[in-house]
Amino acid sequence: MFSRVIPVALAAALPLFASANTLPELNVYTHPSFAAEWGPGPAVKEAFEAQCDCMVNYTVLDSGGDILQRLRLEGSSTPADVVLGLDTATMATARQTGLLAPHGKALEQLALPIEWTDSTFVPYDWGYFAFVYDTEQLPEPPRSLEALINAPDDLKIIIQDPRTSTPGLGLLLWMHSVFGDQAPEQWQKLSNKILATTQSWSDGYFSLFMNGEAPMILSYSTSPAYHMAIDKTDRYQAARFDEGHYLQVEVAAMVKTSDNQALASEFLDFMLTPAFQTHIPLKNVMYPAIDLGDELPNVFDRLIQPASTHYMAPEAVARERKQLVNEWLDALID
Amino acid sequence: MTDSVANTPHRTPFSHSGWQIWPGLLLGLGLVVLVLMGIGSLLATAGNLDFEAVFSSKYLRRVIGFTVWQASLSVVLSLLIAIPVARAMARYQRFPGRRWLLRLMELSLVLPTIVAVSGLIGVYGRQGWFTALLNEGLPGHGWSLYGLNGILLAHVFFNGPLAARIMLQALEAIPAPRMRAASQLGLSGWWLWRAVQWPALKPVLPGLAALVFTLCFTSFAIIMTLGGGPSATTLEVAIYQALRFEFDFSQAALLAIIQLLICGGLWWLVFRQRINTSLMPNRQLGYQAPLFCQVWQPWLEGALLIGFALFLVVPLLAIALRGLPVLLPLSDTPSVYPQLLSATGRSLMIAIPAGVGSVVVALLSLASANRLRGHWQGVLPTLTGYLPLIVPPLVLGTGLFILLRPSLGNSAQGWMLVSLINGLMAVPFVIQVLQGPLSGMDANTLRQADQLGIFGWYRWRWLYWPQLRQPMALALAYGTALSLGDFGVIALFGSPGQPTLPVLLYQQLGSYRVAEAAGTGLWLLLLLITVFTSLSRVSRPAAVTAPASLSQLAPEAGHA
Repeated sequence: MFSRVIPVALAAALPLFASANTLPELNVYTHPSFAAEWGPGPAVKEAFEAQCDCMVNYTVLDSGGDILQRLRLEGSSTPADVVLGLDTATMATARQTGLLAPHGKALEQLALPIEWTDSTFVPYDWGYFAFVYDTEQLPEPPRSLEALINAPDDLKIIIQDPRTSTPGLGLLLWMHSVFGDQAPEQWQKLSNKILATTQSWSDGYFSLFMNGEAPMILSYSTSPAYHMAIDKTDRYQAARFDEGHYLQVEVAAMVKTSDNQALASEFLDFMLTPAFQTHIPLKNVMYPAIDLGDELPNVFDRLIQPASTHYMAPEAVARERKQLVNEWLDALID
Repeated sequence: MTDSVANTPHRTPFSHSGWQIWPGLLLGLGLVVLVLMGIGSLLATAGNLDFEAVFSSKYLRRVIGFTVWQASLSVVLSLLIAIPVARAMARYQRFPGRRWLLRLMELSLVLPTIVAVSGLIGVYGRQGWFTALLNEGLPGHGWSLYGLNGILLAHVFFNGPLAARIMLQALEAIPAPRMRAASQLGLSGWWLWRAVQWPALKPVLPGLAALVFTLCFTSFAIIMTLGGGPSATTLEVAIYQALRFEFDFSQAALLAIIQLLICGGLWWLVFRQRINTSLMPNRQLGYQAPLFCQVWQPWLEGALLIGFALFLVVPLLAIALRGLPVLLPLSDTPSVYPQLLSATGRSLMIAIPAGVGSVVVALLSLASANRLRGHWQGVLPTLTGYLPLIVPPLVLGTGLFILLRPSLGNSAQGWMLVSLINGLMAVPFVIQVLQGPLSGMDANTLRQADQLGIFGWYRWRWLYWPQLRQPMALALAYGTALSLGDFGVIALFGSPGQPTLPVLLYQQLGSYRVAEAAGTGLWLLLLLITVFTSLSRVSRPAAVTAPASLSQLAPEAGHA
């Protein structure tokens, strides 16, 4: 049976192996939530190709960490022209590879909650980490980190592991920014409320939160925008915490050894135009990096507004991360 | 051997004995080189190697301790559950739906973790059916899935059926005269176990324990989702952490070496005993003599089998219920089928070659290992059957990447690479399926073939193929199914935009499309079931499964 199926399958596959084009190619290393069919990737590719007379190729790697690791393994022979999808946690390590080029742009159009002065990385979106809760299970969520920590133990939350997940690391830095040296103690108090510490955001959201296992999960303040705009439900909301929220900025950069420097630079410019940014709010479910004015979907007006922004410089994160993770481990393992 | 070849009028294709030795030897060598390159490249980028730092770290000692502890517990539990199930299955040949139970037992191994875990949570989680029942009947029971409980439950769900399936095979291989004697003596219960069944199971247990131990030792997402907190950390998690988050390559390499030493050492112990480690069911069910049994026994064993079937089926039902609304065309959301179908096409394009490749590699390795038995080189092809289980995929991937990078020109090669690695990862399982039947060829037939000068291609075509057709179909099913459910390898190399099914599932999750992801999970489950049932049709045992002899082969060959 299969002796007949295989040639057919191979024949069907052949067109995939053929490629013929003479346009310059812009190779972008990115991660799945950007490049997915529902992510901003496909629309961005189309829009940029319409103006650049080039081909945009995405290479999709599992996470920002993988993008960086691939870059390191390939070194100066990397085919990448642009890396898109690093964040403040991986920026410093990425800079140290010496493989990225300064962008040389003024970036005046940026609209971030903080002032952006980095000469290598260009932000393309941002968001706050926040606990998203199920209003049906939990009508009255805690209003601060402190209230969450001191809530009765039958309130269960799902978080992600700071050793393997970006939001997980975000919570660690958030707790550190708010409580400083007291953070390990607070983690200990929190520990009885942690139902699960998952490897990735997806594991927690899919397997646990959406199965109703716990009423609260560590996510983004923008998550409810998706549920409100696309799922048409107000059921899932983010809890606004009085201490303020921790900021994540997602960035892109040009690769120093790229043969397409001009094209890569053009892409970074394009990144901060409405043609790119309009796809961010509902497709990446983050805040756009520029002021979109009326084009920002209405549901974004209904998101929580943090009282203050916590943010640690990438170099500080790189320096302190290991120490903080170890303190976290010590606090949670008895 | 070469002299007899000279007797044939013209040279038979592939008849030189080198064809049986070199391909398998080179494959084994290639794999060892890959692993060394993976570890070596990590070490080279890292520079210094500090074993002492690893062992003096409290954290890592605890990680190693926990990894060994949970894997050992999982082995004990899986085997304890598998033994009575296998005994009941062996005795209760007429159990209604026995064939479906067998398929279910094969399925559990290849289910993608995230899908299976979501099913388990749907049943045993805080809002699960089982927990709801428990709340009704036994308030204040204190059951919680999260923690060691959940890890063990999931590991038993994955490995218990595998263990039972292999034990069943061993029980069914008990020679009929022996069973008849036991039956005439009226042996039952403990005495039957002591005199007949235990001697049959004893040889497969060490290999089985080592396999389950290895699978649980390298378990990753299950441990983190159900473990409840950072105290549940395995070495594989620490490797991931070192490699992807801390970029501490020397740490990653060291941890990989420790993992290789622990699991490799275990396999070496098992291997050194030269016992039969035929780990996978070969579906050649033997003839069973009726056994004396107590009146209550069928009831008890029937209940046990029903319980076990429920244990396997209910989580799958939870997956089905969750995914069904998306797959049914009546929902008002846009159809998911265009994406599902194209992802299925891509998945099959990777999985079918991977399945075929794993079968070919397994056959070549087995031939080579058999040929070189007793020679020191024989170790190399044997390694192919074990190494892919214990080398962390991240390390293997890094090695391959560095080895192949200069020639990795376009995405098509990337796809082939993914297919290749998937195939390699499936080889240990495929080898176990094929080992028994390949070495089970009886000596008389082989001698007869020698005298008739049947070598090379013809020997394979007329002697082995009819005998191996069925096990090969099962092996192909395993190879294909394992690759279909794979997420890790494909994510490692960077897919060109278009997703395979598991990648599609993760992309949907990453974009908040939780309902669609549940649909994709169900679709994947259905696809796996289809692969197994369609290939089991090819491999359904004939009425008589006595060892084939040349005279029996002739009619069979006509429609092969």
